[in-house]
Amino acid sequence: MVIEKNARLDRAFRALAHPARRAMLKQLASEECNLSALAAPLKMTFPAALKHVRTLERAGLVKRRVHGREHTCRLDPGPLDEAVDWTRKCREVWEANFRRLDDVLAELASERRAKPKA
Amino acid sequence: MRMNPAQLSVSTPTDLEIVMTRQFNAPRQDVWRAMTEPELLRRWLFSPEGWKMTDCTMDNRVGGRYRWAWSDASGTEVLIISGVNKEVTPPSRMVHTETMQMPACGGPVGELLATIELTEKDSGTFLKMTLVFDSKQARDGALASGMEQGVNAGYMKLDGIFDASVAR
Repeated sequence: MVIEKNARLDRAFRALAHPARRAMLKQLASEECNLSALAAPLKMTFPAALKHVRTLERAGLVKRRVHGREHTCRLDPGPLDEAVDWTRKCREVWEANFRRLDDVLAELASERRAKPKA
Repeated sequence: MRMNPAQLSVSTPTDLEIVMTRQFNAPRQDVWRAMTEPELLRRWLFSPEGWKMTDCTMDNRVGGRYRWAWSDASGTEVLIISGVNKEVTPPSRMVHTETMQMPACGGPVGELLATIELTEKDSGTFLKMTLVFDSKQARDGALASGMEQGVNAGYMKLDGIFDASVAR
């Protein structure tokens, strides 16, 4: 469904729209981390880091496993693929628009040639 | 007729902007007409598959409104793009607001300011379209275009984008 896909993209873009969450994703791109390891470089409290991780989780960008007090986080890049794909589609739409505009412009030119000014 | 294949160029000079440029093999007056006359515009503006453009109303005066709407097979409006003209200088410059709504998604899903500039170049017309996003949701869309560079090289490149935005 288009609408469901849009909602998923909205969540992914919203999740990416915060520097702390992008920093977390970058860290997770190289290795799995627990929550304290994610919080430390950002000088964040555990609850603040958890809040950001939950946003990433809801966007489907991060998977979290809880063992007692240990929260292990792992990157799931799937929604990023979708975000990149959306951008490419947007570009394709404009390329197609402008190709059709070329045709309309060619028609305007040939109409003018067919009806020269008196 | 077309000497060079016209290349669409898309760039993102700032986090809030998308700039698209394209050369057309036509007089500037024709490009202006094709972008401002509803019967010409609806011939080239996209229609997503299965949808039909059912409204294309344009009042091309400063302060005038325009409204483009697409409907699905049942005739229900599914996408509406509308706005107000801030500047209209035929045949070279037009500035308008652009609000996108998808009724099935609730309220507006994005708002931006579009500046369209047409200049005479190489015996044709050079189009420059600048989209400036001002809402948070719309900025998220701008973020998406920032990822354009990531298309080919995948996550390594995305890493670079994260680096750039984390660096202070």
